Amino acid sequence: MKGTGGRIGLVCALMVLIFTGFAWRLINLQVLQHDYFSLKAAEKHSIRLAIPARRGRILDRNGEELAVNIPVRTVTADGTHIHDAAALAAVAASFLEMTVPELTQKLSTKRPYVVIRKTVSEENAQGMIRAMEKAGLRGLYLEEDAVRSYPNGEMLCHVLGFIDHTGHGIDGIEKMLDGELAGQEGFRMIEHDRKGREIVVYRGQEQLPEQGADIRLSIDMGLQAIVEKEVDATYKELHPAGATAILADPNTGEILAMACRPNYDPNHFNEAKPEQLRNRAITDMYEPGSTFKIVVATAALNEGIVDEKSRIYCENGAFSYGGKILKDHHGNGDLSVSEILMKSSNIGSAKMALRMKDNSYYDYVRRYGFGEKTGIPLHGEISGLVNPPHRWDMLTKTRMAMGQSVAVTPIQMVMAMSSVANGGKLMKPRLVLSKGEGSGTQEVTPVREVVSAKTAGFVAAALQRVVSDQGTAPLARVEGYTVAGKTGTAQKISPRGGYLDGRYIVSFAGFLPADKPKLMGLVIVDDAPIGSSANYGGLVAAPVFSKIASRAVRYLDLPPESAVVMAQSGNASTARAGTH
Amino acid sequence: MNKNRRRTTNSLEVNVLARVIIGAFLVGMAALFFVYLKNQQHAVGNQARLTEAALREAQAKNEGLKARITAMTSRGALQRRLDEGYIKLDAIRDTAIARVTPAVAAEEDGVLRTASRDPASRFGPGAPQRTINR
Repeated sequence: MKGTGGRIGLVCALMVLIFTGFAWRLINLQVLQHDYFSLKAAEKHSIRLAIPARRGRILDRNGEELAVNIPVRTVTADGTHIHDAAALAAVAASFLEMTVPELTQKLSTKRPYVVIRKTVSEENAQGMIRAMEKAGLRGLYLEEDAVRSYPNGEMLCHVLGFIDHTGHGIDGIEKMLDGELAGQEGFRMIEHDRKGREIVVYRGQEQLPEQGADIRLSIDMGLQAIVEKEVDATYKELHPAGATAILADPNTGEILAMACRPNYDPNHFNEAKPEQLRNRAITDMYEPGSTFKIVVATAALNEGIVDEKSRIYCENGAFSYGGKILKDHHGNGDLSVSEILMKSSNIGSAKMALRMKDNSYYDYVRRYGFGEKTGIPLHGEISGLVNPPHRWDMLTKTRMAMGQSVAVTPIQMVMAMSSVANGGKLMKPRLVLSKGEGSGTQEVTPVREVVSAKTAGFVAAALQRVVSDQGTAPLARVEGYTVAGKTGTAQKISPRGGYLDGRYIVSFAGFLPADKPKLMGLVIVDDAPIGSSANYGGLVAAPVFSKIASRAVRYLDLPPESAVVMAQSGNASTARAGTH
Repeated sequence: MNKNRRRTTNSLEVNVLARVIIGAFLVGMAALFFVYLKNQQHAVGNQARLTEAALREAQAKNEGLKARITAMTSRGALQRRLDEGYIKLDAIRDTAIARVTPAVAAEEDGVLRTASRDPASRFGPGAPQRTINR
């Protein structure tokens, strides 16, 4: 009995020892090494699933889509899940538009993450997954992705810009507002089963993506289409080195249309040459020529150096100053300020400048925004070039008065002319109306008052005479509306110094209706090979402006002025004379 | 003998046994119910996953179709169609246009608008009520 009891005791002791061992092991695994094994398990089954944010759209002021996203899929492979690469390739190849041997080679890997193909259409991707499920195969997975599409192609390309393969903006609004457009990627911690499917019950921490904001531009695509068509026609007809046109609202500074040639298709930006990528409206500076005469005229009037009745002797077309002869296109005697602008007299403008103090004149140039960036939200804007008085020589002042020895950008010229149109206030160019839903439109505030409303009004009235039979731009007329504006014809600067013979940048900057301007336009044609006798702002740029403005006022439904209604009833000459 | 046998036989306590059996049954049922619920949870989770995938697929298809519509109706596309002669623009002379409403000058509300976006000339549910005087 004793022996039996001893044996039972021994067995019990052994059992106790064994179960104590088991218990210890259990405590060791579940308690002491809990964190370590949890991490190991999480590494094996738990992954951080990125939830991409949708890139915001770019819209015009009326909600027309200018940049959108096309959802596509990126197909990836997990080599550890692939048992028969050839069979999988045979099923998937047609959906991925690849050959079976090519795909088989890519799938013959043990790496857990291999990108097989990007930008696979949703239909093909889902078709592939269904075919794989039917064949009982696994190893290929889908990731969400999107490609950016610009439905209008080349239209507005310089404003919109484009994005690179990583989805980041490279140019235009895409670059400048990349942060707002891109949004914030979200994530979800998930666990998956051995087939790679998510186990929804074990979903962990989740952060939803912050979708990119839709950007609403001030651009009106109706006007943009008009501008593009006319600029395109000019570019094809005259074959200039470049052409630029801008339409703006002079009262708010909103840019309504902006087009440059040469241009490119942002859907295929890789094929574009560097000169096509340049937004000439903000990256190119040019000598403005006579359009710059508005600066000296308003400055001299505003300072009281001349008044509406002052007459300036224009030396009958040849003025000797600083050892050089300054010439006018036609000889003139005494001219008023209004006539100086109408006839675009270089001598009259130079004499007004000479009456002003250097610093005062320079101050006005700067007050118009020349020599500084306008702050338009586009990449690559330059400041232009305005030398301070201490760097002037004897001729600089007279040259600046007629738009030489100074370099401006087209957008600066639009804003300067807008300030004459709106009563003397310099506006900041506005290209973005809102960023995402709920973001209100910002209040429009002028940058500064450049000249008094009276001065601006007088010069605006004088600019109406430019667009008359006596002025330099009768071809800028728009039937039914009074137009005010100024032509510019400037010789191109040679890279070696001096000017290039027979090569010109011609422009016309104008606004309408002249009394209550609603539309400001600038047309620049750079180096059209048409011969010196025809290459004038009034002959080349002004007609383009007229065509653009004629269609734009009808598009905007601006009521024709009453004078024209009279003209239609037979008093054309009387009515037209009354508007100038 | 009978006496001894009676002494060594334990009486069956039905109440206790019933309680144990019922307790075990309840625990067993609870465990089974837990397993059932867990299975249901997984099944519902799986359904949710499939529904989410279907929703994503539908959304992606919708986005794709919207992008295609945008591309096909964009100004560039319409211009191309116009150039190719698939569509045609007929000019309407000024004299052939009957203006339903007077032109709205922009300064009245500070908004630049086209004729087609003039709220007064819009038809449909959003159009303002008109009174027709005969």
